[in-house]
Amino acid sequence: MTAVSRAWGRLTLPGRIVFTLVPLLAVLGAGLVALIVLFGGTAADLILANLGFVRFLAAATIILVITIPIAFLNIYLEMKVIALMNLRVGPDRVGPWGSLLSVVHGLKVLIKEDFTPTAADPIVFTWAPVVTYAAAVMTLLVLPFAPGLYGQDFNIGLLYFFAVGGMGVVGLLMGGWSSFNKYSLLGGLRSAAQIVSYEIPLTLSVVGLLILAGTMSLNQIVQQQSGWFTDWFVFRQPLGFVIFFIAATAEANRTPFDLTEADSEIVAGFATEYSGMRFGFFFFAEYVNVFILSALAAVLFLGGWNAPFPFPALSIPLYPGSLGIPLLFLIALVPIIGTLALAAPFYLARSSMRWWVALIIGFVLFNVVAGGLTFAWAYVSFDWVAGLVWFMAKTFGFVFVFVWMRGTLPRVRIDQLMGFAWKWLLPAALLNLFVTAAAVVIVGS
Amino acid sequence: MTTTSHPGRHASADDPRVLLDDEIGVFGTVPPYPPRTEREAEFYTLGDGQMFLNMGPQHPSTHGVLRIVLKLDGEKVVDLDPVLGYLHRGVEKLCENADYHQVISQVDPLEYVSSLFCEWSPVMAFEKLLDVDVPRRAEYIRVLSGELNRIASHALFMGWFALDLGGLTPILWSFIERDEIVEMLAALTGQRMLFNYFRIGGVNGDLNHDFMSRLGDWMSRATGQIEANLTLLNQNEIFVRRARGLGVVDTETALAMCMTGPNLRATGSPFDVRRAHPYSIYPELDFDIPTRTEGDSLARYLLRMEEIKQSLRIIDQCLHQMPDGPIMAKLPRLLRPRPGRAYAAIEGPRGQYATYAISDGTDQPFRMRIHDPSFVHLQSVGLLMRGDLIADCMAIMASLDPVMGGVDK
Repeated sequence: MTAVSRAWGRLTLPGRIVFTLVPLLAVLGAGLVALIVLFGGTAADLILANLGFVRFLAAATIILVITIPIAFLNIYLEMKVIALMNLRVGPDRVGPWGSLLSVVHGLKVLIKEDFTPTAADPIVFTWAPVVTYAAAVMTLLVLPFAPGLYGQDFNIGLLYFFAVGGMGVVGLLMGGWSSFNKYSLLGGLRSAAQIVSYEIPLTLSVVGLLILAGTMSLNQIVQQQSGWFTDWFVFRQPLGFVIFFIAATAEANRTPFDLTEADSEIVAGFATEYSGMRFGFFFFAEYVNVFILSALAAVLFLGGWNAPFPFPALSIPLYPGSLGIPLLFLIALVPIIGTLALAAPFYLARSSMRWWVALIIGFVLFNVVAGGLTFAWAYVSFDWVAGLVWFMAKTFGFVFVFVWMRGTLPRVRIDQLMGFAWKWLLPAALLNLFVTAAAVVIVGS
Repeated sequence: MTTTSHPGRHASADDPRVLLDDEIGVFGTVPPYPPRTEREAEFYTLGDGQMFLNMGPQHPSTHGVLRIVLKLDGEKVVDLDPVLGYLHRGVEKLCENADYHQVISQVDPLEYVSSLFCEWSPVMAFEKLLDVDVPRRAEYIRVLSGELNRIASHALFMGWFALDLGGLTPILWSFIERDEIVEMLAALTGQRMLFNYFRIGGVNGDLNHDFMSRLGDWMSRATGQIEANLTLLNQNEIFVRRARGLGVVDTETALAMCMTGPNLRATGSPFDVRRAHPYSIYPELDFDIPTRTEGDSLARYLLRMEEIKQSLRIIDQCLHQMPDGPIMAKLPRLLRPRPGRAYAAIEGPRGQYATYAISDGTDQPFRMRIHDPSFVHLQSVGLLMRGDLIADCMAIMASLDPVMGGVDK
């Protein structure tokens, strides 16, 4: 043993890591191969037999995971855009243009103390952020990101969306009640009053659209808006769109309706007593909600994944497999030739340019060009790439508007908020509904 | 909420469970002592469905360490009790134990956003005690730097007021103006906030090149920038709707509550110490006293913004009429005014700053009383906030523009 321990002691840290990982991976790899050989056929049969269920499991996992980068992106966007509107620089230290700062925020939240007030109700206090976050994540299941890229295609997708999305307020109320803090209590009650009030115009504003579309499936609603951008529902339901957007702002607790966490009035509202990752869940849920409501607005009114104009049907007859052995030569040679070709002009144009600097520039440029070409090829060849691009562009357009409002507008008062919902938005939504229904009846008959 | 008793556990006074087991409970009486006055007994008795909310002293937007105990019915403020003294330093007593020159540095941090005005009134009172004639150039420099400080203070007010109404951006925009002015004054006085610049009989240093170049640079674009900042709020429907009709006070009540400055002028009374009891070189200068009649928060805000423009006019005139000459009167090193008493009042960005000083012939003031507008304005919050919502409490307080350093002294 002494020889082994002495040898181990002489190893540096990377050496120890390698000597630990390599045998471990070898054993695991061998085990995996054995498992596949022994049970692979059975497993494949099982998956094929239960394809719908497996698809659901995969979709649930993916949407749970995808909320994290979405929240990070939204938080970064908010920090940077508001900073620019405030004439500040904003985050610029971590990552390019500070883009990794929200990741650092996420890690910071993880390592902070997770504190529970003595007099809080620990069970409700712990589960409140889970409920809020789960409600936000579960709505993502029915959102159609692109053709074929959605969790589940419910025929009652919109109803499911509103039903599950409305569950988030339960979490806020739980957090507000269980924190044993009067500010939290006020915040929780405010959120309950606000979100329950704004659910009604939010739901009513899309009923006119549902009459036109004749379906509640978000996929089919998107498909009905294909073609030119004049086919989007925003041009047939402009009033509905405005009501929807205002109500969605209130639903997402965003400025000017962010009364539940009004820092100049009730400190941090329902989240006053929360710290650590439990606060992180509330925080994430807020930004996931912003994304989700933006996505829903894009899906319902701006045509979802549809491009604003019918894209000419292009097909690139690119069958790399048909090239045979020369393909290998191409893969080996094209990067080198491309890099050299792009580096040469820089090297020749400036005498002070070092050869290796020119090579680096050429390499970067080649990657940009190759990435662009690959993207263009994918955009043309795959429906879902093009769809995802348009969907994300529209959604983040809405996210930007949300952030823009936060940078510009003050907060409304609670009586103004409620008065606006019941006196203006609700009658307007009903008017929109009746006019749409009457138009459908007249045109239909 | 039920709790279990913990027999083996040492009960600490900080443990909320102790209070929970108590029959009064946490939601009951706030002070741990029996009521001392009738008003206290009345205030700390909860009606049906009411609760106390302790706002401050660590609340994010109480403008310092003000603590307000609110008695709430839902979101509505039924009654309130401001609790002061968290920043009390005993400035008046400190001044009575410092010689006349040292007083200036003691009064500086009273209202830390407009320090020059805190220096100005004691300095004027001491000059009256000593019968000193201040050189005209010194008076011009005082007015010039004072008006700059007034603009900085009002710019800060604009930002804070918008922040308390939930707007994020205005404070950062207005801080640009304030920062330029503060840097400019730092070039003149050597400090950014606590200037310690005025002296008995003059000012500490003459105008220098750094200050003048910064001032000229800023003056050339000040009007445009302030207008740009104002468009952010003045045409904002949400802001105007929230500020209008908020904390309305009429002239009689305002006078009864000893309001001065913009808060009084917003009710329609054109009282301004610079015109009513002229001092320094203000009689020679041409400027208006803006007034408004509404008396609400929006009027107080708009009035202050109008005062910024008037201050710019005054600065312009000061720069054009600035005479040559000394900046300090000839005075002995150690000041021993003859026994007597003097009172001096000036118009600051918040209202009337005044000092009442009594000399007993020694080199220290025998008694010095500082009248601070923030403290006086804060006494009317009970009048203004009652019946409003929690959301408006901070906005009403912000519209009165108190600075806790001056309130607690």
